[in-house]
Amino acid sequence: MEDRMLFILMPLVLAVFVLAVWGFGYHHLHPTGIVACLLAILVALPNVALIVIFGFYLSEEKDEFQRNLLVQSLLWAIGATLTLITFWGVLVTFEVVQSRSLVWVFPLFCLFMAIAKFMVRLRYR
Amino acid sequence: MEGKTKDLARSRHNRRLIVFSVLLALAGSLDAWVFIRRHPTGVLAYALAVLRALPMIGIMADFGLYVAALKDEVMRSIIYQSMLWSIGATLGFTTVWGFLEAFVHIPHLQPLLVMPVFGLFVGVSLFLVARRYE
Repeated sequence: MEDRMLFILMPLVLAVFVLAVWGFGYHHLHPTGIVACLLAILVALPNVALIVIFGFYLSEEKDEFQRNLLVQSLLWAIGATLTLITFWGVLVTFEVVQSRSLVWVFPLFCLFMAIAKFMVRLRYR
Repeated sequence: MEGKTKDLARSRHNRRLIVFSVLLALAGSLDAWVFIRRHPTGVLAYALAVLRALPMIGIMADFGLYVAALKDEVMRSIIYQSMLWSIGATLGFTTVWGFLEAFVHIPHLQPLLVMPVFGLFVGVSLFLVARRYE
């Protein structure tokens, strides 16, 4: 079930992200007020859905070993993400870096999650 | 005996947490002081940013060691669930805030505040998940 949902959600996340960056990041679209707020939540929904599905998968996973691998990857990924964000935050404070958009936190976490999963699996081979 | 081991692991974790928190506060103060006095650029700015992130790595590694050393399966499950909830909440929050920044031009949230936000979510979810197991 989760596989099918992910099959639909993953392209949706990517499409929504590209659309949002193109449309709003480069100001081709100009929503305001409540519409803009609703759009922001709408754009974030597939990401939130991904996390919820992951949570369901983790709670339904019977194989303790697989679950342990996933949890370890999660911990490594959040650790790496928070560390990098702190590093980035200091650079923003020092005005060395200009970009402050928090939209990149989720893709960054996904990247670290993929790397951590690969590394953790390598360790148990 | 098991209770004693658990207490030992927890007190070790607490001590390390205190040390890393003090280091984090010192690094933060040093960053602020250097920023006000010298307004660093280039290599110095990057070095200070790394210095600020180092205690964070310590805190995360310590937390990982603590959870790995935990023998109590229920406690471990509570921590795992809370972590998952707080990761989800933090990522959801940053995504919504990020898009709101782009759409409605609400105030920029400093990236440095993501860590305290995550900490807040961990605290809330630990409380809520632990209550479910009571």
